[in-house]
Amino acid sequence: MAARARGLFGLSAAAFLLSSCDGLGGISPIFPTPVSPNGEGIYALYVGISIPAIIIFIGVEVALLWVVLRYRRSRQPAGYVPPQIHGHTGLEVAWTLAPLAVVLAIAWFSFVELQRDFQPITNEQMLVVVRGHQFGWDYDYGNGVVVHQEGTLAGDVVPFVVPVNTLVKLQFQGTDVIHSWWVPAISGKTDAVPGYDNFSWLKINQVGSWRGECAELCGVGHGTMQIIVKAMSQSDYDQWLQKQLASQKPSPSPSPSASPG
Amino acid sequence: MAATTVLPRPKAYDDTFFRPISIWLTTTDHKLIGIMYMVTGILSFLIAGIFALVIRLQLSQPNLSVVDAETYNQLISAHGVTMIFFFVTIFLTGIANYMVPIMIGARDMAFPRVNLLGFWLVPVSIILYYSGFLTGGALNAGWTGYAPLTEKAYQSHSLGVDFWAMSLIVWAISGIMASTNFLTTIVALRAPGMKLTRLPLFVWAQISTSILLLVVGAPLAAAMILVEFDRQLGTQFFTTQGRPVLYQHLFWFFGHPEVYIMILPGFGMISEIIPVFARKVIFGYMTMVGALFGIVFLSMTVWAHHMFTVGMNTYVEGFFMIMTMLIAVPTGIKFFNWIATTWWGSVEFTVPMKFAWGFLATFLIGGITGIYLASVPVDTQLHQSYYVVAHLHYVLFGGSVFTIFAGLYYWFPKITGHLLNRKLGEWNFWTLFVGFNGTFLIMHTLGLEGMPRRIATYANASWATTNLIITVSSFLIAFSVLLFLINVVRSWNGGEIAGDDPWQGNTLEWATTSPPPPYNFERVPPVHSFMPLRDLRESGEVVAAEPEPAKV
Repeated sequence: MAARARGLFGLSAAAFLLSSCDGLGGISPIFPTPVSPNGEGIYALYVGISIPAIIIFIGVEVALLWVVLRYRRSRQPAGYVPPQIHGHTGLEVAWTLAPLAVVLAIAWFSFVELQRDFQPITNEQMLVVVRGHQFGWDYDYGNGVVVHQEGTLAGDVVPFVVPVNTLVKLQFQGTDVIHSWWVPAISGKTDAVPGYDNFSWLKINQVGSWRGECAELCGVGHGTMQIIVKAMSQSDYDQWLQKQLASQKPSPSPSPSASPG
Repeated sequence: MAATTVLPRPKAYDDTFFRPISIWLTTTDHKLIGIMYMVTGILSFLIAGIFALVIRLQLSQPNLSVVDAETYNQLISAHGVTMIFFFVTIFLTGIANYMVPIMIGARDMAFPRVNLLGFWLVPVSIILYYSGFLTGGALNAGWTGYAPLTEKAYQSHSLGVDFWAMSLIVWAISGIMASTNFLTTIVALRAPGMKLTRLPLFVWAQISTSILLLVVGAPLAAAMILVEFDRQLGTQFFTTQGRPVLYQHLFWFFGHPEVYIMILPGFGMISEIIPVFARKVIFGYMTMVGALFGIVFLSMTVWAHHMFTVGMNTYVEGFFMIMTMLIAVPTGIKFFNWIATTWWGSVEFTVPMKFAWGFLATFLIGGITGIYLASVPVDTQLHQSYYVVAHLHYVLFGGSVFTIFAGLYYWFPKITGHLLNRKLGEWNFWTLFVGFNGTFLIMHTLGLEGMPRRIATYANASWATTNLIITVSSFLIAFSVLLFLINVVRSWNGGEIAGDDPWQGNTLEWATTSPPPPYNFERVPPVHSFMPLRDLRESGEVVAAEPEPAKV
């Protein structure tokens, strides 16, 4: 129990150290504070990996410094002849098994998180089909509403609106080349690949806006493919949806050619 | 300095260097071919470095347009292709071409004319790639050239992709030739007594590198041929209607082992340099060899860790994750063995040793960030962000470039007969070390904050300061490389005379003159261990002789 408590303490101390640097603007050592459970899972895993990573980093760098400072020829007695040691089976086995144990532990925790948050879900409350194209995103809500988020750097792009605290399944489709949908505060990225559908989800726990970008080089406009996700309270969202339905409803007058869609 | 005037200059190559160009075109001497490889590599390094500076200028502040987005995409592609295919791999092939036959006590490579052909395919490959610029634009899809962006539907304006594909096919053929030649040479032409268990670790590293390139060169050529089929014959392998992810599988089956093709020779050089300057025998020779082959095997089972966001089955992702993480084990063994080699040593902190330490200190960071990237959930955040750019530069710059500098400072005296200037070397090292870490350490944070790689510009003002620091530091790297070039030119033309064995080396290349005669050895020394020269020195058979003029 004591060891476990110490482990938890270490974890939370490391999390505090890392997150206290959050928001420094430009030099943060960790992701933005996550607002969706899958993002939180990744965040916790990142903190967990950081504990052995920081220990190993400091340990090895100190050892590297130590050997070149302590065993400099100028610090050795005159005429010093170093012992010629060809190896040591015990040591070599030890520093084979120790890293093995560390990476297996990291792999295990990673795999648990992978199974928990990266399986295609079936219990979603809402499905949005996200189509990537050169250069922008279309969000098809399935009820006739489509948000066209055309890429630009000149100002903010049209936000992708979701209700807060709602499990939204995202179904990614590529229509030309490969794009990758990434909002760091929500979760990892998912590629929109032509030819098959890819899945992710989000469940944003607070009202607000979060930014992201396309993460897969897709042509000259790659850098313009900004993403804004806006989480609204359910009532605001309902209002927004009604407005979209009204404005996007195909006007009945123009041509008699009944469109198939 | 007085000594330099007394010692006669070794004349083996003095004639050749100034003889007409035809010598370079027709020589089958592995040493001249090695020099040509290395010079080609360094020239590529300079060109790709200039591209990097333009890239950094473009990114130094938000919304700049030093170059337009299309030019930017061509520049990042050319930077990556040139650094990876035409600098690191080519330079390392060159230094191995020069050193491997001498280190095993051979007169030349097993197939000298294949060696020459293999070299001349490299300029052909380079010219093919750069011809793309004359057709309206070179490759603009990054060095990985992901389909379908490389397909005709999105590239109607130029033939850049075609020239890139042809260039890489020629490059792969050249690499397969060189690898076959290395393996045959090492198997067949070892000096009497040079058992496999007595091969210098650099030669073992070259064996593992050659095996890798032999296995993965063909899939690269296959991927490029399929890209060409799509573009010129209208097939649908990787098009929007085809299977773009298949391209990624083929490319990364080459691409990940290629990372080790670029680092294993460096590991080999470090394993030569540390024992010499610590005056100790390498700790755990057999585990070092075993670790090399562990890496060779594992590196061919990890390619899909570049594809964790394409939507694979989570168990498949788990497999590639665990194989990737396992690479930390053999790499860790090598690190610990290098530290143990130095422990209780008598360390002379010369410039090659400093670069070796720069490599260890920085490559460690690349290795640790590699664990984060191997973890699938964390990778979905970090993938294709500036974190990856930082990671790969810690591995390839902190790894390959620092080891290349270490090897150059170590073997330059053997190749030219002159030592590189130590003072300039110190400046070279420290400016490179500071410039490199200044450029790439804070780059990790940009990725964590959401800056994707390969964007031509950005609007987010909070990234501006970090990017400016990176740009300034990148110019410090350029300054350091300039110091290096000055050092090379100055030292080659009249630097301190090295003599046969300036470092008290362990391996056979130090038994012959500097530079070695065309046939390498008048008499190949006896080999009783993996440190034959040291054995001779300790038994008193070899004298620290003043270099005699070689008889040609």
